[in-house]
Amino acid sequence: MIDWAAAAAHEDRLLGYATDQISAFPEARLIGTASEKTGVLSFVISGVHPHDIGTILDRNGIAIRAGHHCTQPLMDRFGVPATARASFSLYNNKADVDALVSGVKRVLEIFK
Amino acid sequence: MSDLDELYQQVIIDHSRRPRNFRVLAGDNLRTSEGYNPLCGDRVTIYLTLDGDRVTDVSFQGSGCAISTASASMLTEQLKGKTTAEINTVFKNFHQLITGTSDETTASADLGKLEIFSGVCAFPTRVKCATLAWHTLIAALRNAVEPVSTE
Repeated sequence: MIDWAAAAAHEDRLLGYATDQISAFPEARLIGTASEKTGVLSFVISGVHPHDIGTILDRNGIAIRAGHHCTQPLMDRFGVPATARASFSLYNNKADVDALVSGVKRVLEIFK
Repeated sequence: MSDLDELYQQVIIDHSRRPRNFRVLAGDNLRTSEGYNPLCGDRVTIYLTLDGDRVTDVSFQGSGCAISTASASMLTEQLKGKTTAEINTVFKNFHQLITGTSDETTASADLGKLEIFSGVCAFPTRVKCATLAWHTLIAALRNAVEPVSTE
């Protein structure tokens, strides 16, 4: 049996850790910062299209979703063409977030 | 060089940051066409002027990833002064280059600076980024009315 409360707490910890880590990049901006949300972290990086972020992370072994996430009307409304989005679940751990952060550093290196 | 470095060469990053011929064209014999990739949201509008069968000027507007923006930008630099037939040949060779399907027997058009896109062939999901502006340009040459969609 899965302990769902423990799973939710685990996701929440990862989300908090990832939010702190990604927010620390001055080039990054978080999209969707509700105080209570599931383990998803959408972000954009100044001057880098999310599909380029996705390709670079992919080559570094990190799978994220990039694009409009099937919410085109909302994205149009806010003038955001696309975002990069990492999500965390019970099978992820802190090392996965660290890998994401290393990947974002690689993105910034390539697009420096 | 890693395949990422092959893909994101400095020339491509530079064109994506400072796209050339990024403007609206006006004038006689103007053709325009719009291209859209609904899966990723990239949009491009190609403007070109013709003298008979020859492209006298070409420009673009739009938004997209580094590959699609750089591809559109470099296309506008490379194709000015070419005829429709010449452009079709360049596109055919460009397409073979980025899909890794070039063969020796192909009539070789000099791709020039466009060869920088050879790294795309290691990233099949990015082929449509590199070809969106091209399909849109070909539609403008054909005077197509319907917007181009990659899907």
